[in-house]
Amino acid sequence: MPLSTFLGLETTLRGILAQQLALDVTGHNIANANTVGYSRQAAVMAPTPAYTVPGVTRPPQAGQLGTGVDVQSYQRMRDEFLDIQYRAQSMRQGSAQAAQDGLKQIEVAFNEPSDTGLNSLLQKYWASWHDVSNAPENLATRQALAQNAASLANGFQNLATQLQTVQTQTAQNVTDTISQVNAIGSQITQLTAAITADEVTGDKPNDLLDQRDVLIDQLSKLGNITVTVGALDTVDISIGGATLVSGGTPQSAIAESDMTSLTSGKLSGLIGLRDTTIPGYQASLDAIASTLITQTNTAHANGFDLAGNSGGVFFNGSDASTIAVNPALLTTPALIAASANGQPGNAGNALVMVDMQQTAQAGLGGATVDTAYSQLVTKLGSDVRDATQTADNATILAGSLDDKRQSVSGVSLDEEMSNLVKFQRGYQASSRALSAMDEMIDQLINRTGKVGL
Amino acid sequence: MSARITQNMLSRSLLLDLQNVTDKLSRTQRKISSGKELTAPSDDPFAASQALMLRQNVALDGQYQRNVAEAQSWQSVTDTALSNVTDAVLRVRDLVVQGANDTIGPQGRQAIANEVTQLIDSIKSSANAQYAGRYVFAGSATLTEPYQLGANDAYAGNAEIVKREIGPGVQIDLNTVGQSTFGDDTSGLLSTLRTIVTDLNSGNTAALGNADLRAIDVAHDSVVNARSVVGALSNRLDTALSRLQQLQDASSAQLSNVEDADMAKTLVDFSTQQAVYQSALRAGANIIQPSLMDFLK
Repeated sequence: MPLSTFLGLETTLRGILAQQLALDVTGHNIANANTVGYSRQAAVMAPTPAYTVPGVTRPPQAGQLGTGVDVQSYQRMRDEFLDIQYRAQSMRQGSAQAAQDGLKQIEVAFNEPSDTGLNSLLQKYWASWHDVSNAPENLATRQALAQNAASLANGFQNLATQLQTVQTQTAQNVTDTISQVNAIGSQITQLTAAITADEVTGDKPNDLLDQRDVLIDQLSKLGNITVTVGALDTVDISIGGATLVSGGTPQSAIAESDMTSLTSGKLSGLIGLRDTTIPGYQASLDAIASTLITQTNTAHANGFDLAGNSGGVFFNGSDASTIAVNPALLTTPALIAASANGQPGNAGNALVMVDMQQTAQAGLGGATVDTAYSQLVTKLGSDVRDATQTADNATILAGSLDDKRQSVSGVSLDEEMSNLVKFQRGYQASSRALSAMDEMIDQLINRTGKVGL
Repeated sequence: MSARITQNMLSRSLLLDLQNVTDKLSRTQRKISSGKELTAPSDDPFAASQALMLRQNVALDGQYQRNVAEAQSWQSVTDTALSNVTDAVLRVRDLVVQGANDTIGPQGRQAIANEVTQLIDSIKSSANAQYAGRYVFAGSATLTEPYQLGANDAYAGNAEIVKREIGPGVQIDLNTVGQSTFGDDTSGLLSTLRTIVTDLNSGNTAALGNADLRAIDVAHDSVVNARSVVGALSNRLDTALSRLQQLQDASSAQLSNVEDADMAKTLVDFSTQQAVYQSALRAGANIIQPSLMDFLK
């Protein structure tokens, strides 16, 4: 029976080595329990090839003898399908979050409902015309009207400036985000090159793959991406239709114009804000301001000032960013044309201005100046609410999908502790088996053949 | 097999829940400290638009009340002046009756004529009544004195009716025109009074007893008539004022409904959320801490 005496030694040694490697993997898992994007690893153990006893005739014994264990590979626990789901939500979250941030800034700028917003400035402006209609001869009420009209014009200008500022910031944010996309893209390209180099030699670079997945997660927040995994774990990534990563080959940086089909992600949210949402608000605000300017100026020209002369221009400018009260009216409020016929006690033209508050304006789609502004504020409020709800939903969904991923890939300390105990005991038992072999061989070498000594 | 739950999942969900509760707490706290249910349009876009409209209504109703109060002051100045004029006209009528009596001598009539001349000036100064620097009987030429004291009875104002707005599209005729009420050097009360003075001076008792007496009655009627118009307008303004006050109260109540926080409900919400927050913290402290490590040697 030609079996080596020392076969058992070798078998137990393999056990010791394998348990030790498994312990090392457990240590690696515990060490990375809090590393972002880390996927837990497991040592995959398998029996080493069995020893078949050679012989010309069939031996009268069991056919194959096990020879112990070996660590075949270190498996990275990861579910690619969950990655795809998570990234889809992450894209939605990115665009809603970006829209929400910008819109909230605009909402703060509007400062409604309050005693200081444009609505209340409009009310003060109309009230001043009422006061002038009550006492058209009185210079003090005219002065108050000129001042309140100036505050209203300032209110329009401030709002227009704030909208402009948010738009400029958003445009800057788009540029910064595109640089970020390109930076992440070149990091992924470098990692892919390293991964492929490792895989060619048959290794599985688990930790590099984790790092790359973290970068792809980050990228999914910024834009809609498609990820195609090729042979040897190379990836091709396109963002908004533009090729960002193509294996390990460096690509030229992409520009905004390259992303022709951007549908979600932070970039899409920001660009929507910059090109659609904010210009929409600006257009509405400008329509209100320009209607107020033209209607007021037309009516004002039909009236007469305190000296009986025809009224001049009341508001200068043409939209929300340029509206201003004719400075002559501020210095000489007698020039305000409150009279319809040149008599100082006639308030006919002031009453025309007063009635303008209730007049449906064709330029505002049949709304009055006040209601057009209310509609704008309501639209803004709904937009903020929608964006907030979408962002909240996407955050919750992304969170629960991340939980699912964690359920597969995350390190559970309890599990690692029990593994630690398991592999430690395995190591101890293998050592004990080795000792048993040792004692057996000791018996054979040192005691055998000494009968009667 | 049930899902693996890792420590990071536990801390992540605990943190998310804590953030949610804190966010709710801070919103409720803001409601309590500001007393407002609505702090931004996005809290409730529909309510925000209602709030804006109601604010416009409240402001407008307040403004119309000011317009009405202004018109009322104007009417009260007008009424006082007309009341003085009525008294003066009645006094003139008494004097005319006295002057028409033959027993009174030319000297007596002279004295009466002097008193009537004085009363003319008194009527004209009543007709020059001002409200806040404006002549109320001068039509729309409110900065021009309608009558000059002395012999010149010409009317310097105009006959324009001044309008005021006391409701959306609701305009009233504010002023009583001096010329149609008091007349001038060619017709009306003043002209009648001048004729009476002439008749008194010339001792024309026949005219005094008949034509002048009738003319003064006509003039008296016209002043009383003007007063009754003012009185009717004052009543209308009173009604408008109380209606506007009711409207404003209703709008304010609605605005408060939409905008203001329901304190009882908000405070109950606050305590509930606080309790949730504290139990989340406690649960977190208990769940996160122990692991198998605490029980292995």
